[in-house]
Amino acid sequence: MAYQLYRNTTLGNSLQESLDELIQSQQITPQLALQVLLQFDKAINSALAQRVRNRVNFRGSLNTYRFCDNVWTFVLNDVEFREVTELIKVDKVKIVACDGKNTGSNTAE
Amino acid sequence: MQSRAVDGFHSEEQQLLMQVQQQHQPQQQQHHHHHHHQQAQPQQTVPQQAQTQQVLIPASQQATAPQVIVPDSKLIQHMNASNMSAAATAATLALPAGVTPVQQILTNSGQLLQVVRAANGAQYIFQPQQSVVLQQQVIPQMQPGGVQAPVIQQVLAPLPGGISPQTGVIIQPQQILFTGNKTQVIPTTVAAPTPAQAQITAASQQQPQAQPTQQQAPLVLQVDGTGDTSSEEEEDEEEDYDDDEEEEKEKDGAEDGQVEEEPLNSEDDVSDEEGQELFDTENVVVCQYDKIHRSKNKWKFHLKDGIMNLNGRDYIFSKAIGDAEW
Repeated sequence: MAYQLYRNTTLGNSLQESLDELIQSQQITPQLALQVLLQFDKAINSALAQRVRNRVNFRGSLNTYRFCDNVWTFVLNDVEFREVTELIKVDKVKIVACDGKNTGSNTAE
Repeated sequence: MQSRAVDGFHSEEQQLLMQVQQQHQPQQQQHHHHHHHQQAQPQQTVPQQAQTQQVLIPASQQATAPQVIVPDSKLIQHMNASNMSAAATAATLALPAGVTPVQQILTNSGQLLQVVRAANGAQYIFQPQQSVVLQQQVIPQMQPGGVQAPVIQQVLAPLPGGISPQTGVIIQPQQILFTGNKTQVIPTTVAAPTPAQAQITAASQQQPQAQPTQQQAPLVLQVDGTGDTSSEEEEDEEEDYDDDEEEEKEKDGAEDGQVEEEPLNSEDDVSDEEGQELFDTENVVVCQYDKIHRSKNKWKFHLKDGIMNLNGRDYIFSKAIGDAEW
């Protein structure tokens, strides 16, 4: 089971909204929508591991930290994300990180 | 269903029914257009089961069509049919809460009925002439399987002070609304949720009590506002809130003697709002962590395989390293 972590992204939310519309119009069953989301989880985890090869650095101040159910949640303030190509500054960012050491059967976000 | 509906009559109701029947009987044959099954059955000689079939039909039709125009002769037939068993038990009817749109229908006999369509899809037909009293009849819910067979019951409650019989029969899959004769509309019974306590005597007892308290025009149907207790609760809450404010003001004035103490007290809360953290449109990074390290208040993050949404744009990384000070 791949992490369902990536469902709350632009891509994941768009997919869920589209599936909800299809369910509303009775074109697919909720069971099928769930299967689609599970397939999405597999695909996105695989794509991130295999097809992405860039690196980012960031620096900021830590506002809060939380470690629960092997999931880290941070809130940082005044953060700068630095990539080779560009610099991104934000006042506040939330980082949600699941355990990356195993492929893990964690179904929670 | 049919057999259950065939019990005895109320003698008084039967008399009223007979009167109405005799008035409309010659028109009976003309008004059978809506119902295919039974057109030629004379009213009084038909066995009760057949009549109950007649009664069931409009309900089944109503299950399909949203509106049912029931001519008066049909009403009379239904009254004759005896589902007086239900009448025996049920006395008061009321419109459920949420009855809003009111339509007027001119029946075949020329009488003007009002059709009120409730929120739950039920239709209520009543004659708003002169004095219309909505009595509440509680019928236990039909089988949960959604059986369409309706329970059709009629109640012509011989209300004290009742005048000429005005009858309205509402046929529904689930509930039936009856209007009896009364001089006033009783909004309490209309708006209140329906406990299963329909008794004719109880209804008659309730009505004289409601009469002096509620003097309303017969055409005005109030479906809310009666029996509310929320207004009282709100008043109590407001009073408590005011009292607290006054206490704080008094304290501040006593300690420093300044008028501006109240705003200063509101600054005692140092921590940030929790709402900020839960705010939805913030920048989010979802990823996996390789290692999270901390020394005193210095944190180091080793992250991987992440998707970022920053300032409305999406970014992605296979590896991210960060530093932060708490």
